This record gives sequence, structure tokens and C-alpha cells, in this order.
Amino acid sequence: MKTRQRKTDSVKRNWRPARLAAACLALLLLAGCSAGGEPSQGAAGTTFVLGDTTFNPENEELDVNPHNAYSGWACIRYGVGETLFRYSDGMEIEPWLATGYRLVDELTWEITVRGGVTFSSGRPLDAQAVKECLEHLVEVHGRARGDLMIDTIEAEGQTVTIRTTQPRATLLNYLSDPYGCIIDMEAGVTEEGIVAGTGPYVAVSLRTGEELVLTKNSQYWGGEPGFDTVKVLTITDGDTLTMALQSGEIDAAYGMPYASYPLFQNDGYVFSSCATSRAFFMTMNYGSAVMQDPAVRRAIAMGIDKERFVEELLGGHGYVAAGAYPDHFSFGGGAVTAKSYDPEGAKAVLEAAGWVDTDGDGVREKGGQALAIRYLTYPSRQELPLLAEAVQATLEDIGFAVTIYNTADVHTYRSDPGAWDLYASAMVTAPTGDPEYFFTTHCLAGSPANNGGYANARLEQLAAELSGTFDPERRGELAVEMQQLLLDDDAFVFCSHLQMSLIAQADVAGLVAHPCDFYEITADLRPAA
Amino acid sequence: MRDGVSRRRQRGRRNHIRCRLLVFLLLAALLLLAVIFAEELCPYDPNAQIFQPLQPPGGGHIAGTDRLGRDLFSRILVGLRTSVFSTLALVAVIAAAGTAVGVLSGYCGGLLDGWMMRVSDVCLAFPGLVFALAIAALLGGGIQNAVIALAVISWPKYARLARGQTMAIKSSDYVAAARLAGDTAPQIILRHILPNSTGPILITAVLDIGTMMMELAGLSFLGLGATPPTAELGSMMSDGRSMLQTYPWVVLGPGIAIFVAVAVFNLLGDTVRDCLDPRNSHRT
Repeated sequence: MKTRQRKTDSVKRNWRPARLAAACLALLLLAGCSAGGEPSQGAAGTTFVLGDTTFNPENEELDVNPHNAYSGWACIRYGVGETLFRYSDGMEIEPWLATGYRLVDELTWEITVRGGVTFSSGRPLDAQAVKECLEHLVEVHGRARGDLMIDTIEAEGQTVTIRTTQPRATLLNYLSDPYGCIIDMEAGVTEEGIVAGTGPYVAVSLRTGEELVLTKNSQYWGGEPGFDTVKVLTITDGDTLTMALQSGEIDAAYGMPYASYPLFQNDGYVFSSCATSRAFFMTMNYGSAVMQDPAVRRAIAMGIDKERFVEELLGGHGYVAAGAYPDHFSFGGGAVTAKSYDPEGAKAVLEAAGWVDTDGDGVREKGGQALAIRYLTYPSRQELPLLAEAVQATLEDIGFAVTIYNTADVHTYRSDPGAWDLYASAMVTAPTGDPEYFFTTHCLAGSPANNGGYANARLEQLAAELSGTFDPERRGELAVEMQQLLLDDDAFVFCSHLQMSLIAQADVAGLVAHPCDFYEITADLRPAA
Repeated sequence: MRDGVSRRRQRGRRNHIRCRLLVFLLLAALLLLAVIFAEELCPYDPNAQIFQPLQPPGGGHIAGTDRLGRDLFSRILVGLRTSVFSTLALVAVIAAAGTAVGVLSGYCGGLLDGWMMRVSDVCLAFPGLVFALAIAALLGGGIQNAVIALAVISWPKYARLARGQTMAIKSSDYVAAARLAGDTAPQIILRHILPNSTGPILITAVLDIGTMMMELAGLSFLGLGATPPTAELGSMMSDGRSMLQTYPWVVLGPGIAIFVAVAVFNLLGDTVRDCLDPRNSHRT
């Protein structure tokens, strides 16, 4: 009996540490469970956390300084900066920090700046502040300089007068590009890349590629922002983003993989979706020997099964693309003729050009050179790697050998013409609601993102005409003709346009997707009632 | 009487081990046959993207289909072949290279021994997988490069083992006798040292198959192993991990295949060790 009692005591003693450990573990788990769920509210007030896959150097969004590469997208998306004009839901131009404009002559625009607006630095917004900002922009930002073609800027009171070097029909559209966010140049740019804007939130700390913290701009001219603090977390991995939203670590997500959508299609979450002009497209590298053969480019264009990609692999969350623009634009969709998927036709094109599989290994050769291409893409747009494998399969069926390079360091590779043959990316082709943007950024000899080194004299001529044409109908006609040139040369293959979705916890209101893809955090964002 | 009982017990234990060895050898042989004839056993082309994506297991697809509309069972079979053959090649390379270094080092001693063991110390000082990741990143993607990366970090274990065995055998009487009889160093190594140190090295190699398979799959999972469209179990799990909650079969299929293969080789290794253990031998 005594022995039994001793055994029991011993067991009890042995159990004590185990129980203690179990209790600690349970407490930790409970603490973990209580972390998520709803926008947090503590002594510091309400906080909203957004997870975003694209706020990183891979997408040239290093900070919130709109004068730095594509960082203007972060500036406007996260509510730091605002532009003189903005896009309506129908992508029409409407005043924002401006109240109106007058076209004095073909070269001169008179813009009235809104009164009663102050920068987060405390400086009132006036014409002089706009002049300083735009002058700095065209000085340091090559793309803006080419788009805006500003000759002189004059400021008087609340009136800014901009004179362009050439007639510029789309000046207001380009001023509405994220790089056109008006920031206080007197306050300057911090080492972290933080600027003073006029938006509903003020950036207080930033770690590139990791985290941005914003606080409410209590002096905001457009009403009181709904949250005291906003945190933007860069979460490039789609699975991590999915689990972060599920666990409540974040309140909303941008860039969620389509495969995760079923997890959030319930009462616990709110979707806001819209069609955008963001396109998955491929650029052919004219600097590569194999791609200089028109037959190879044509075979690639004929060897991509866009319908299957959109319907089966994207699960219908996109639209098959013909040209650069989706069909809600008069110059988009079926206005151009693109090559359809025709593997047998592609094989015939290659045969006729002398590309034949002589050794029976499934890869064609010509003059001792194998038909091998290097396919470059990047992972932060979650479906790009999926497109890569789908294209690899259909092209290999035609007789190509395709090696996929899927890397976050895509800029290093794409700037080296000897490192790739085909580059797949996802870009918004008409963020300004106008067709000119895509051509000036991607297709002309001097375009900053003309990665493939494409050149076409006729295209340059039409681009010059487009630049000086004010008539929207004629602009549309020119855009169609220009797209057709790209397609006939097989310089680009447009695969699909995407549906953009923001997914938020059900207790968040006012997070609304916009067709331009860069209005996200606004003063309307608030905890749901 | 007591001796008789003990002998019977020992005989029973020996028979049990032999039985286990037979079963696991049979399972390993079945696995090897499956991977050797993977192409013939595949119901569909493992790279053909011709089916409706993400079909659940059943119907015409035993393991379902993946996100690109490929038959998962066919890809698992071919992926298993990639994993098993790469692992066997890796283990063969590291065992041969490590043994060669260890035997030379242990037999020659002196400066050569000191130098070789310091090199192996350097390799052992790095965290294994991190070092392999760095090498794989340097060499670029591809299963061959992943094998090279793991080989670079994994040979010292065998070198240490072979060196210890060599030093012990070198000082034994029969090696001294062989030396007196006029045997040269290569003859002593080939006739006496290598045959007598094979046992522990073989056991380590068989036990290593499972571990190396996991490490190779790990590198592939991280994107530094097999490249598309090569079917490999680690990369298949990585491709499907975003669908674990929505379409679990995409991950579970390759996961179960890795589990089964690793379990079979680990259990086989354990049994081979028991079999070669002198305590289970009838002479003890």
C-alpha cells in the first residue's frame, strides 16, 4: 500500500512540471488566438493593417516618395499623397487638389488649386507649392519628364500656369498619374523616403520592402479619416498573405492569390473587385539572336493558349486579352486582331523558316542552333509563375525548349539584353485612362520600360501624332493602329487582363477597388458600424 | 538450462530481424521497381496539361489533378523516381568520396590527416542546410546542382567514420602481420581496411537515404532543386502549398509519397544495422 502511495506521489511530482508546461502552452495559444479578428482598438486608438504583395523594390516601390521610380503608387495607394486631378469610377478626369482648369491655348494650361488644403507639414497648399513639386518631379523623374513635356510653370496665388513644349492633350491625365502626387518640397524627403503630402494619412516610419506606418492626418481637408493608425505590411508570399488574413494578423489584403479566394468567400470577409487594365503580357527581346527571327516570334504568339489560361488556370478571374487595353475602352478589346492559339499553324511557320527537329529530341534546330528560349518572370504577381508553366508546356509542344527564370531580382536580369528572350510581366496599361501611357512607357525607342529594344519608325510617327491630338476619337483610332503594329510585329503578346480584388475582414468598411488600381486607403476607410 | 533458454531467445531475435529485413528489402525493391518502371506505370504523360485543373482524386485520376491540369498520380510516380534516383546517386557519391578521404587520412596520418580533417571541420562547422542553400543558390537551379550542393556538405561524416575505422584496423595484429609479409599500403587498404570498415559505412549510407531524400526535397521546396516542368516531390509540394486548405490533395499526394519512401529506407537502414550488430550475431 505504502509502495503504491509512494508511486502515486512520485507520479504526481513528475506530472507537476508537465502540467505547468501545458498550462503555459495553453496560455500562449490563447494569447495567439486573441491577437486577430478585428481592427485593433487600444490606448493608441484604432489600427488598420493592410497586407500587400507589391509594395517592394521588385515592383520599383521603394518608399512613398512619388518622385522615385514607381513609389508614387505607394504614396497614393496608402493615402499619403493626392494629385491635382483624379479618375472617376468610369476613368474620367475630375478635379481633386485642383478645382478646375482652362486650356488657354494648345500649349498653355491654367489650373486652379484648391484652397483650404494643408500639407501634413503644416504648409498651406498653393500654386507655389505645386510649382516647386512639379519642377522637382520633371527634374528627377525621366518618365514624368517625357510624359508631361513641361516647358515652364508659373505660380500666382492659387493659379498655376503650365506651358508645355508641344501640344499635350493628356496633360491632365498624366498629372493624375501617381507620380503627380503633390508633396511639400520645403519639407523635403527623409532618408527613409517619407514625404509630406495632403492625403488622409501621414507616413511616420518606413522600412523598404517590410513595413510602412501611417497616422491619421487630423487636418485632412476631405473629412476625418476613419482609423488612427494604418500599417502596411509587405507580404510578398501569397500563402503567408492568406494565413495572415485568416488569422486576423492583417485586416485586409491586396494581391491575394486566386487559389485562396474560396477561403474568403463567406460572411467573415468582404470582397471589392473590379476590372482593371492590368495586363499579363510578354515582351520579346529583339537583342536576342533567336528572337530576331520573325518566325520564332510569330510561333510564340500562336503558341500561347490564352483562353485556357484565363478560364481554367485563373478560374475566370480575368479576361482574354487581344491588345494592350481591355474591352471597356473604345480602343481596347476586339478593336485589334491578335493571333489566336494555333499550335499546328505555329509548327508550320517554324518549318517554313527552317526550324526542324533533326535529332528527334523534341526541340527544333536551325543551323546547329537549338530553338531554346529563356523565359523571365517574377513571383510577386502570384499568377505569373503559373502563366510561365502553362506557356512552357504549349511552346514545348511546338518544338521550343523553354527554361523559366522566376526571380524577384527581375530588374537586374531584364536590364541585361543577353540574359533573357521572353519577359512576362503584369502592368497597368492605361492607368491614366488614355492609351498613350503604354506606348510611351514600353514601346518607343526612348521608353524607359522598352526592355526588348523594340523599334518601329511608323510607331514613332504615330506616337508623335497621338501626343499632339486632342480629339478623343482620333486618339482612339491611333491607339488601335499602334497596337496593331505591335501585334503584327509580334513584339508583344497580351495574354489577359485581370480582375483586381481587395479582401477585407467583415468589420472593415470603405475599402473599395478602383479600375485605375491605385486608390485604396482613403478617408472613407473605417471600422464597420 | 539457462544457456539453452538464452540461445533460443537469441535465435528467435535473429529470426525476427531476418524477417524484418526480408519485409523491408521487399518493400524497398517494390519501391525501386515502381520508380524504375515509372514511365510504364504512368496512366498519363506527367507533363501534359490537358485535363481540368484541380480535380479531386477519383474518376480517371487516382490522385486528382494539379493546378495546371496535369495528372497527379503520374507526376508522383515520376517525381518519386527523380527523388529516389537523385538520393541514391547523392548517397553513393558522398559515401565513396568520404570513405576515400577518411581511409587515406587515417592510414597516412601526419600532415595529410591534419589538413583533411581541418577541411572536414570547416564543412561540419556550417549549419548543413544553410550551407547547401548557399551552394545551390551559387550554382543555380536544377536537381543536379542540388545534389552537388548536398554532396559538398555531407561527405565529412563518412570521412570521420572511415578515418576512425582505419586507425583502429591499422593498429591491429593482422595488419601488422600483412605488413611484415610484404604487403604494400594499397594492398593493405584494399584487402584489409576497406573490407573491415564497410559494415558501419554501409549502415550509415542506408540510414542516410531517408535524410538525404528529405534534404533534397527541402531544397526543391525552396525553389533550388528541380526546375519546371520536372516532376519532383519537394517542388510539387511547394507548388501546391497555397492550396493546402482549398485543394489538399495537391500537397498530400507528394507528401505521402515522400513519407512512404523515407519510412521504407529508414526502417531498412535500422534493420540492416540490427542485422550487422555483433550482439545479434550467433557467435556472441
